[in-house]
Amino acid sequence: MSSSPTLDIKNLHKSFGDNEVLKGIDLTANKGDVISIIGSSGSGKSTFLRCINLLEMPTAGDISVNGELIEMATDRDGNRNIANKKQVQRIRSRLAMVFQGFNLWSHMTVIENVIEAPIQVLGLSRSDALASAEQYLKKVDLWERKDYYPSQLSGGQKQRVAIARALAVEPEVLLFDEPTSALDPELVGEVLRVMQSLAEEGRTMLVVTHEMAFARDVSTKVIFLHQGQIEEQGDPKELFDNPKSERVKQFLAPKY
Amino acid sequence: MLDQLVALLEQNEMFTPSILNEYWDGTVLTVQLTFLSVVIGFFLAVPLAIIRTSKYVWLSRTIWLFTYVFRGTPLLIQLYLIYYGVTMIDGIQDSPIWFLLEDAFYPCLLAFVLNTAAYSTEIIRGSLVTTDKGEIEAAEAYGMNYWQILRRIILPSAFRRALPAYSNEVIFMLHATSIASVVTLVDITGAGYNVYSRFYAPFEAFIFAGGIYLCLCFAIFAVFQRLEKRAFRHLA
Repeated sequence: MSSSPTLDIKNLHKSFGDNEVLKGIDLTANKGDVISIIGSSGSGKSTFLRCINLLEMPTAGDISVNGELIEMATDRDGNRNIANKKQVQRIRSRLAMVFQGFNLWSHMTVIENVIEAPIQVLGLSRSDALASAEQYLKKVDLWERKDYYPSQLSGGQKQRVAIARALAVEPEVLLFDEPTSALDPELVGEVLRVMQSLAEEGRTMLVVTHEMAFARDVSTKVIFLHQGQIEEQGDPKELFDNPKSERVKQFLAPKY
Repeated sequence: MLDQLVALLEQNEMFTPSILNEYWDGTVLTVQLTFLSVVIGFFLAVPLAIIRTSKYVWLSRTIWLFTYVFRGTPLLIQLYLIYYGVTMIDGIQDSPIWFLLEDAFYPCLLAFVLNTAAYSTEIIRGSLVTTDKGEIEAAEAYGMNYWQILRRIILPSAFRRALPAYSNEVIFMLHATSIASVVTLVDITGAGYNVYSRFYAPFEAFIFAGGIYLCLCFAIFAVFQRLEKRAFRHLA
């Protein structure tokens, strides 16, 4: 057992051209932490999450997973790049991501979506992958839909499949990028309930969300991002009941 | 019914067994040319389409030039260049590949393969670049490497989308093989022409030839309909 945090991010910066979206963000997640990242649109929440598994290349900063620093190289133009593709691919499979738009592989059935990464990336045998897929699809209550295609499912069901797909790689950290933002209001609940049960199992989760009730009641820590910086962070109840920053107060105030 | 047909065939002096045999041989040649050019062309087109989407501009431009030239000039010109032109190159008649060029079949096949490869490359490229970005991103996020993403996500999804356009290309190639008849090959069209010139009966000769193409098309439609049914299960 190492004493390193599960996820350790130091001084993360990200610019798109002249536009600096993230201005130095630090975050440490230990095993079992459920960290909600909230903030208004354009605050950099999603970009931050996407930098963690290098879907966006951070302009500066360090990311370590279980104490292993992700290697990055700087080219002649000063742009940072992935230094070691194999390492990044290995680490990415430890940081499973659930997307706002589901991003299920549309030509594969539900079960094929779930066993794809375990077989291709983790090198599991098909029978082992199928066995664990059954377990995860039952957890999200979609086992009886295993032979459906994504187009035949509702948004909430798609997102639950996406969560099963994420669980199937048995990741160190689950990254949720606004998992309920593309859902009809009546479908949000089924996804949040699954996420809550995962949190209760002690899984490490980073959740970018607009669901304030989830952030408050389920997470162990809340981070409020504003204009690419952490404006306030801490215990969820504390932050929601007694926000210190004026911005957070405004953000949490009833809108009507 | 059958007796009447036999009687009708016995009375006619045109569609005798030997003439029907000519059409049959022509049909075999047409099917060979179409099948080989489509299959070889497809296996050339897949890697070419992938290179065509490369981020290295000089690579993608080179493939683009190939497809531009072969889509931008008539197939008949390409066939003339290969059949008459290449065989005239100094020394080629003494080269080890001459036995291939000597026969009209191979220059013809080469022209057809290159032509359909060019069209298919663009069809496949079109569906490669329209692969859902989110699906590719998900594959990246789960740690799949370039080849895995290509093999497991992009190609299967692109082939499905390319199918309707590609079935047109196959039909087009079937009909395009009719120009093999201008370089001495006796395909369906060639057989039809021979029959016409023997009997001066253009309608009978060419309608019969056209009918064979229709039947072949029907078979191609049937194959693609089954393929599409399977490929589009996920859109049900």
